[in-house]
Amino acid sequence: MSQVPQLLFKNRRPGETVFIDGYRATGGYQPLEKAFREMTPVELRELVKSSNLRGRGGAGFPTGVKWTFFPADAPGPKYLVCNCDEMEPGTYKDGELLMADPHQLVEGMIVSAYALQTDVGYIFIRYAYEKQAEYLRRAIAEAKEAGYIGKNILGSGFDFELHVHGSAGRYILGEETALLNGLEGQRPNPRLKPPFPATRGLFGQPTTVNNVETIANIPHIISGGAEWFRDLALTPEGSGTKLFGLSGHLNCTECFELPVGIRLGEVVETYGQGVWKNRKFKACLPGGASTPYLTEEHMDVALDFMSLEKVGSRFGTAGVTVFDDQTCMVAATLNLIQFFARESCGWCTPCRDGLSMVRWLLEKFETGKGSPEHLDMLKDQLQNISGNSFCALAEGAMGPVAGLLTHFEQEIIDHIEKGRCPFKS
Amino acid sequence: MVNLTIDGKQITTSKTSTIYEAAKENDIYIPVLCYAKKLLPYGACRVCLVEVEQMKGRLIPSCTTPVTEGMVVTTMSDEIKKVRKTVLEFLLVNHVVDCPVCDKGGECDLQDLTYEYEVVTSRFEGEKFDLPKDEANPFIERNMNRCVLCGKCVRVCDEVVGYGSYSFINRGFETKIATAFDRGLDCEFCGQCVSMCPVGALLPRPFKFKARPWQLKEVNSVCGYCGNGCTVTLGVKDNEVQTIRFNDETGVNDGNLCIRGRFGYSYVNSNKRLTKPLVRRDGVLKEASWDEAIQTAVQGFKDAGEQVGIISGARLTNEELFLVKNLSKALGTENLDHSGGECYKGVTEGLLETLGVRASTATFPLVEKANAILAIRSDFYETHPVFGMVVNQAIRRNEAKLSIIADKFGKLSKLPNARTLLHKPGLELNVLNALCHVIVEEGLAKTEGLNGLDELKAALKEYSAETVAELVGGDADAIKQTARELAGAENAAIMLAYGLPYTAYSKELAIAAANLALLTGIAGRQGSGLYLCGEKANSQGAIDLAILPGGKGMGAQQMLAAAGSGELKALYLVGEDPLVSYPNRSLVEKALEKSFLVVQDIFLSPSAQMADVVFPAASFAEKAGTFTNAERRIQQLHVGIKSPGEAKTDFAILQLLLKELGTSAPATPAEAFKSLAAETPGYEMVSLDMVGPQGYVWGGDNLEPELKQLVPVAGAQPLADKYQLLVGSALYHSGTLSTHAKGPNAAVAAPYIELGREDAAELQLVNDDMLKLKTVEGEIQAKVKVDRRLPKGVFFTPYHFAELELNKIYSGQPAIAVEPVKV
Ligand SMILES: Cc1cc2nc3c(=O)[nH]c(=O)nc-3n(C[C@H](O)[C@H](O)[C@H](O)COP(=O)(O)O)c2cc1C
Ligand code: SF4
Ligand code: SF4
Ligand code: SF4
Ligand code: SF4
Ligand code: FES
Repeated sequence: MSQVPQLLFKNRRPGETVFIDGYRATGGYQPLEKAFREMTPVELRELVKSSNLRGRGGAGFPTGVKWTFFPADAPGPKYLVCNCDEMEPGTYKDGELLMADPHQLVEGMIVSAYALQTDVGYIFIRYAYEKQAEYLRRAIAEAKEAGYIGKNILGSGFDFELHVHGSAGRYILGEETALLNGLEGQRPNPRLKPPFPATRGLFGQPTTVNNVETIANIPHIISGGAEWFRDLALTPEGSGTKLFGLSGHLNCTECFELPVGIRLGEVVETYGQGVWKNRKFKACLPGGASTPYLTEEHMDVALDFMSLEKVGSRFGTAGVTVFDDQTCMVAATLNLIQFFARESCGWCTPCRDGLSMVRWLLEKFETGKGSPEHLDMLKDQLQNISGNSFCALAEGAMGPVAGLLTHFEQEIIDHIEKGRCPFKS
Repeated sequence: MVNLTIDGKQITTSKTSTIYEAAKENDIYIPVLCYAKKLLPYGACRVCLVEVEQMKGRLIPSCTTPVTEGMVVTTMSDEIKKVRKTVLEFLLVNHVVDCPVCDKGGECDLQDLTYEYEVVTSRFEGEKFDLPKDEANPFIERNMNRCVLCGKCVRVCDEVVGYGSYSFINRGFETKIATAFDRGLDCEFCGQCVSMCPVGALLPRPFKFKARPWQLKEVNSVCGYCGNGCTVTLGVKDNEVQTIRFNDETGVNDGNLCIRGRFGYSYVNSNKRLTKPLVRRDGVLKEASWDEAIQTAVQGFKDAGEQVGIISGARLTNEELFLVKNLSKALGTENLDHSGGECYKGVTEGLLETLGVRASTATFPLVEKANAILAIRSDFYETHPVFGMVVNQAIRRNEAKLSIIADKFGKLSKLPNARTLLHKPGLELNVLNALCHVIVEEGLAKTEGLNGLDELKAALKEYSAETVAELVGGDADAIKQTARELAGAENAAIMLAYGLPYTAYSKELAIAAANLALLTGIAGRQGSGLYLCGEKANSQGAIDLAILPGGKGMGAQQMLAAAGSGELKALYLVGEDPLVSYPNRSLVEKALEKSFLVVQDIFLSPSAQMADVVFPAASFAEKAGTFTNAERRIQQLHVGIKSPGEAKTDFAILQLLLKELGTSAPATPAEAFKSLAAETPGYEMVSLDMVGPQGYVWGGDNLEPELKQLVPVAGAQPLADKYQLLVGSALYHSGTLSTHAKGPNAAVAAPYIELGREDAAELQLVNDDMLKLKTVEGEIQAKVKVDRRLPKGVFFTPYHFAELELNKIYSGQPAIAVEPVKV
């Protein structure tokens, strides 16, 4: 366990938060010095591209590629926005990272801003993360004091200011264009794409939105290099480490920094220390509440973008939620859908009205009032909702439903045949 | 251009098109619910999903997806059908489906789509919405139980109207449309949201249970109120105008209307309309036959010899105005004028001196592409609301920079990033001069071909931005900024509204605006324009036809003075109510009292009550003919209903008078148009069949000035008085006519005096207190309305209401010094 390289959690100690001195003591702000003194913005963007870093916010889009779309040389205001909304059930890694080591994000924001030539940055932070916001504000003040934020940073002629902005606390605010609306003080509906934020984002100006963990990785890539970063992963196409937030029916539900591509079995057995109460593993959400379930048969699957897609799921945010063999998967899915239906922003029909119909169907099964026709209707909805909504919320919401139908259809049929939930006596 | 295939058909379309637009252009049907031509792409309902071969794996919303080269689109398949059907099912789950009692039944998109996709039963069960209806206002009923959340109302009120009444509230399944704090609707009541709603969630209340849509006959005509010239499509049943129908195919207004056009039609059906001619016998107005009335009138005119004067309204059609002109010839008088004496005359004279033309130099739709816009007068939106909406769109879509020269804040000041160049009452001229000064000083002027530059430069010396800002109480930097924007913009617009309540300095204002338009190159440049916007539906027609004093003839004010002194013996008022709407009431009163008075109107107006003969006339809904709007667009009116009782069109009445005088008259409006076109400059080449659904703009999109003459004008001095009253227009009304219409009256039924919060506090006044304003001439009183738009010491009152008798103290001055007394 100890030989697993720790970058993001390098300074993490239980109950402690590292500020500027501690951060510097382990090499903090050296990547920034290197970037500003030795590298051009173009070189930085190239470096990130060749590192193969993929977004850690859920969609897994290659960060370097996203940055090449950004009109870094365009005149006028440009923005870098960090997405720390983190409201998906089962995902809490960004919060952990900021509790331990907020300067990582601050340094990441500054060097990313330099790479993208954005003059203003916002960290859009979940409403419940009060402590983290406080730590960030302190870290920003320290960085300013040290001359890393402000005018003419390290004599480079580059100016940057960084703000922390509290989210109103709704799941949809994590969707990047809804987030931008929220930042502007508007109702957080997602925006139509195109235009993409890189063209018309915050206040109509070019904007890049990246996740906390994505940005926190940048300084490490600068100091270690692209090749080193790629080699951290256990799969050939993967790169870097990943924060895995464990939850559910495990003996240990903590957040670990592990290599990308680690086997599911190892995460469950070694880090989660096995299923609790000596029960058996039944299923898990591998990457947060919007990813389709994996089962016992997937223990050897490498947790990485490609390999998870191959087995019909997604890497998402790597929030691994485990369910033991006494869990009713219909009830578990219903619980998730209740969340998504409630959090739908209400903009488009398939999500706003469709999800509540899915909830209604799952309630039917769970309360023993379901019929085979209802099962057909549920299958139908998979096709009618997934892929047809305005933003990715509805599609994500249907992830667990898809998993339920693929792996646990028999359990639904049991509910129908018994006229009650077989897990309740 | 982009090539693509839709349903096997090869299509070439503009690269900015969406799939839906490309399909529509080629008559390929794709159903839509949340799409609207005039709104920005939205993509929420998901009814318009199609398959695109290059984007397999998911269905693509056609209304938001731009076309790309080589795209292969399929608009119908089993899967598409299923998904669309499910969307409809979803929408119907909570929908009340009370079609039998819904006025939208028969033209409801949800109903039609449900039918088309044969959504027979809903497989889903869910709670039906049971939200309370919003009936807080008399115009618009909001029944959110029928709403499909297409967001069109939210968007149109923001993107087009610039008011922003609505927003989505709540999340998920509980999402709904609401006003601020979910209160009852209280807004401009332009009804754009009603016209956009695809279902029966927003309905016009005056139309409730009046008719099923298919029972209505639709007649396209032109709004009879203001010079905007919006197309109104009358919905007619039982010889009554039941409602105004949505129509974005005809005319210049894109289906947009203001409260007057949309809800102000009811005066047409009013039971207070005049239905019989009246003749004064033994001092009392008594019903008479047409023969008697015509003979009495003509006899009176004959008795007066050449001492006759004609004052016409500007709501008559061009054809009727032509007959008015013929009548003046037949009577041998050159005493001919229309509305407001000095006001219209001044504006046209000023323009003639500077530009050599007497009309706007460009058309309204061009303003949507303007980069910089200057509105002169804060009431511009209030007098020409739908043009104001074009300005809003220019700002929202093109980031146009808007400045307003204003003595108070109005709707335009609230638009995004609008710059209000606030000045003390009566000093518009000074600000215009300062703008010219900045342009000249900073070398921004486009001086080529301009005459009189040196004289102007010399005269502008005293009008530096700083000096003027100091005098008018404004901000020099703001003036400079505006000047630079106007001079630097590729496309720019200067807009000046004129009308009865704005008679002061009218000639000077026209000149100052023209100077600015010349120095910036706005006058005559393709894409830019100087806009002169007359208050009434056919103000421009009246100018074009020269309903103005000829030779030694007298103008309106002079005629009234002459009639008062007995010099003029007879007056003929055609659709004009000077007793209420003209400045200087005692003068008007004396004139009407002393002369032989013939009044032609649709109501027994206060002026008509003093007449010797009254002719019952027809409303715009009852006549054919043409109006020329403020951008020179000639448009056709069509007969929607028959006039009540024996009332006749102005055209028919004038024919009778001409015949009685032994002169010939054209037999029909169409014939009259031929004759008037032949002798009206700009109209020579126009024939009625050129006046199609979009009308015909005489002089073309860009009217070249015939002169480029700069003329120095002196600024004014502010009044020193502590309290000053401004006279103007309110959004809900137009002239005095709208005070007979239920709609506008329901919004604002009575006169009021508006003042700012500071003054209200100082004078210890709250809303609805009675306030008296005294001057040396007399006094008026009305209820108080406290607002935030007036600077300290400045009061405002609209001029539309007869009962205020405003012209007791108003004689055309830019601001009236008053002494406020709480009653
Ligand atoms: C409904 C919804 C919620 C989301 N919530 C978050 C979130 O809390 N944090 C986050 O980083 N990304 C979230 N995302 C993903 C963002 O839209 C976006 O892809 C991400 O911030 C991009 O950053 P990355 O490329 O660095 O991952 C969410 C997406 C959706 C559709
Ligand atoms: S899928 Fe539609 S309703 Fe759901 S959150 Fe996205 S935009 Fe809103
Ligand atoms: S009536 Fe006009 S102003 Fe009022 S809500 Fe509708 S669109 Fe907006
Ligand atoms: S009220 Fe009408 S226009 Fe507004 S969202 Fe609902 S259905 Fe659409
Ligand atoms: S009053 Fe003027 S702006 Fe309003 S609808 Fe009529 S023509 Fe249009
Ligand atoms: S019409 Fe295209 S999504 Fe509504």
